[in-house]
Amino acid sequence: MGRSYFVDEAVGEYLSGLQAAPGSCVTGLLAGQSSPQRDFVVLAVQTPHRESEGQLKAPKGVSPLDDIDVEWVTEHAKQVSRMLPGGLCVLGLFLVTPPELSKDAQNGLKRLIFAVEKYIIKGRLWELSEEDVTDRVTLHICSKTKKLLCKTFDVKDPKSSAKPADWKYQTGISSSWPMLTCSVEVDLQIPVTGSSSDNTDKCMKDGLRRWAKQIEAAYCLINGRQALDDSELISGQKKNPKTTNRQTLPARIFVSDEQSELGERSSALVQVCSGSMRVRGVVHCRAYIHNNKPKARHAAQAIKRDIINTVCSRVEMFLEDLCINEGSQKGLCSGQQALPRRVFAPMPISGLSVCDYMFPDESTADVAERLKEMLDCETPEEDIDTSLENNQLFSIISGFEITDSQDDDSSKHVSEIQAENHKIQKPPKYYAGVALAAAIALLATATSLLYFS
Amino acid sequence: MLQCDFIFRLKGILEFACQLDNPNGVQSQSTISKSFQDLRSKVTSKNIVFTVCNSPVLIWPNTGFQSSVESLTEASACGDILQWIESDDGGSKKSSKKKDKKKSGPTVVNMKLLFEVTEPAGNTAPSLIRVSTQQHCVKMPLPLDCALSVTTDERLETVCTGLVEALNKQLADMEEVVLQYRKGSSFLVPQPFHFQLPEPAGLITVVYPAGVPDSQLQAVREDLHRKFELPCDRPYLRRANAFHFPDAAYKDGYLRNPHIHLNPPNIEDAKLYLVQGVYSYHHYMQDHVDDNGWGCAYRSLQTICSWFQQQGYVETAVPTHTQIQQALVDVGDKEPRFVGSRQWIGSIEVQAVLNQLLGVTSKIMFVSQGSELATKGRELANHFQTEGTPVMIGGGVLAHTILGVVWSENTGQIRFLILDPHYTGGEDLQTITDKGWCGWKGPEFWDQNAYYNLCLPQRPKTI
Repeated sequence: MGRSYFVDEAVGEYLSGLQAAPGSCVTGLLAGQSSPQRDFVVLAVQTPHRESEGQLKAPKGVSPLDDIDVEWVTEHAKQVSRMLPGGLCVLGLFLVTPPELSKDAQNGLKRLIFAVEKYIIKGRLWELSEEDVTDRVTLHICSKTKKLLCKTFDVKDPKSSAKPADWKYQTGISSSWPMLTCSVEVDLQIPVTGSSSDNTDKCMKDGLRRWAKQIEAAYCLINGRQALDDSELISGQKKNPKTTNRQTLPARIFVSDEQSELGERSSALVQVCSGSMRVRGVVHCRAYIHNNKPKARHAAQAIKRDIINTVCSRVEMFLEDLCINEGSQKGLCSGQQALPRRVFAPMPISGLSVCDYMFPDESTADVAERLKEMLDCETPEEDIDTSLENNQLFSIISGFEITDSQDDDSSKHVSEIQAENHKIQKPPKYYAGVALAAAIALLATATSLLYFS
Repeated sequence: MLQCDFIFRLKGILEFACQLDNPNGVQSQSTISKSFQDLRSKVTSKNIVFTVCNSPVLIWPNTGFQSSVESLTEASACGDILQWIESDDGGSKKSSKKKDKKKSGPTVVNMKLLFEVTEPAGNTAPSLIRVSTQQHCVKMPLPLDCALSVTTDERLETVCTGLVEALNKQLADMEEVVLQYRKGSSFLVPQPFHFQLPEPAGLITVVYPAGVPDSQLQAVREDLHRKFELPCDRPYLRRANAFHFPDAAYKDGYLRNPHIHLNPPNIEDAKLYLVQGVYSYHHYMQDHVDDNGWGCAYRSLQTICSWFQQQGYVETAVPTHTQIQQALVDVGDKEPRFVGSRQWIGSIEVQAVLNQLLGVTSKIMFVSQGSELATKGRELANHFQTEGTPVMIGGGVLAHTILGVVWSENTGQIRFLILDPHYTGGEDLQTITDKGWCGWKGPEFWDQNAYYNLCLPQRPKTI
């Protein structure tokens, strides 16, 4: 008996509406929620076109299947994962091929699904538990006959073979899924040992991991009730799948400072640090849980994972950008900088919401553009909710030390990176004190003029 | 002894963290104090929550008392909390022979300290603040542990307020200990210990620095003895004297004080004189040593050693048969081949080993006939009153431990509380008390014609 995928009708419409150039393939993601008994698919998104600089890659000549840009598909999957609130994740992939390639499609899908899973979990701060479903779905669609072939692979086992699975369409799958919400105060002090940027990254990762363990182990109340055991999340209610109102369940999280590694110490842990980092502020979190007799503790797990993911994602995004803009000088700078803040928008089709992260110098127009690119949907700017997390106060980078000798190198480095930037997001510009920014720009211009003349 | 019905015990870990620019500089003390001040604010903030272990009850003590369970309000008596607690063994308090058993003491309600991270005051999105000065980053988990003894009708709200105050005080005590024992950037973890002192002091908590042995904390204890008006010749505040919570099992598996489950015999005009403090019951076949038939005096000696260890006089573990034998060889009392043999020992050997291994002196009492023991009431009564140590008695072919007497000065009637080391079964309290392995015996218990030697260990005069 294979798995059963309950798929929203609208996903089916999206899939049949996909246009593939004759002879070529279309790849894309499937997102939704897995539960031990059944799985739900609420979103399908084709892989966006990649803007490639310079010459077009010559086709390898053997098969369009080999031309599938695995790296691009996995990058898309990662970006989309960041946009999904708790409880939802990338469940699998679809592949549209012309009839002559249908035979080889399975191998292509298997390669892709393992690559996607591997890339998505990199840097994740929580581990899958015994109960998590590790089957991922691969859907093959023949572009001519529109026939669907649905199989699953167990991504825990690299040697696993494809197992058959059911693909069933239904309307309004997620219309009455309860939504868990909470706002979480974060205040993490992370010491930094060593001075290279690798060190900073590792220290940040370690610090976040410790905090993530605290959250995972935390006591959780959902809608005022303990969420520990196997009791049902919503008991004593007649569940009518036709009702369209979605319940909002507030979650409350309680942590203790208990750390097993600190354990039975008799003296303090003292480290000599070259500095410290502090992540401080309030994050707004959301998670959805299916309404097929969900257990309280699965709901608790979903919201906790969202809390961990949202902090981790924005720190990752910030550090990725920092790497581009400051180069290897990360270790020298001090000051307060705003991390990207979370905004929510309605998801195409299902009425659930997706999220995105807005850097301080961006606007809802930028968010809308990203949603179009990543999720293949038009979102009116007024539908983007930016009210859940407040803007940080204007912050200044103080004591910004750039050693003179590296001045020219850094600005040149930055402009080179910008040209080669394959990243989907536009490189954000940092707020600096106006005078400081002007001074640096002047210096850079003067130096590059000198250099290039 | 304890007049209270409940002990509310709150435990939790709070991480102490601070950054020191220069650990040996003048500024460091105020930086450390500031960090402790922040922790005290944390504990009085609205975010702290007490959870009652094994129950769905959550209490917010600093928001005018809110609880997660509707029926528990500010006005609730603390005893009301019991109905919400799931006990591990199904809550059975039935025992087959109720008449000889006594009540086992106050009920312990265990609570855990938690902090809410949701429902924040503002909602400003996060920032990253980077500081790049060279610093010493200090992190230390503070093992908070507060206990309050209360009566059933005490209001739950008062208990919670009391616990918050206790947390505050404990943090202040911890700060003092940390500052006192700090050397540069080396910090010792402050550890709380609870002690049950004679009324009116009751249950108190003292914070000691981890890793500093009792022997180096003499001055601290002297101050506390003065403060609480405790006698200066016996230990009350060594780590080994820490209060043993009734619901905690002893990790080593030995039974403690099985005699407290017995009712003393009802003799007219007689008074009860019992061993003071805590001992472990040592008997045949324990520790995988088959000493059936020859080890009774060794086991009695082990019981006595366990008493000195648990009252805080010694830190050494209870000696094995081999260690006992080796000690006798070391003092020249026995030949080296004695070690590993199954030879019996008597009161004199017990006295010698107590001296050699524990530094404890003992008095020997000789009785030429078993029937004479009935006349030794006064001596035994005095011993239990002043020294309160278990007594080893050997004679005939048997050794036993005497834990107390019921004796009438007027009529001379006497009963002996005997702990019998000849028991070969497991640590089953029911069997041990039902079958009299620990029980009250009359003068006819002794072999009327044999001679007996008693070893009466003396308490060292120390705190």
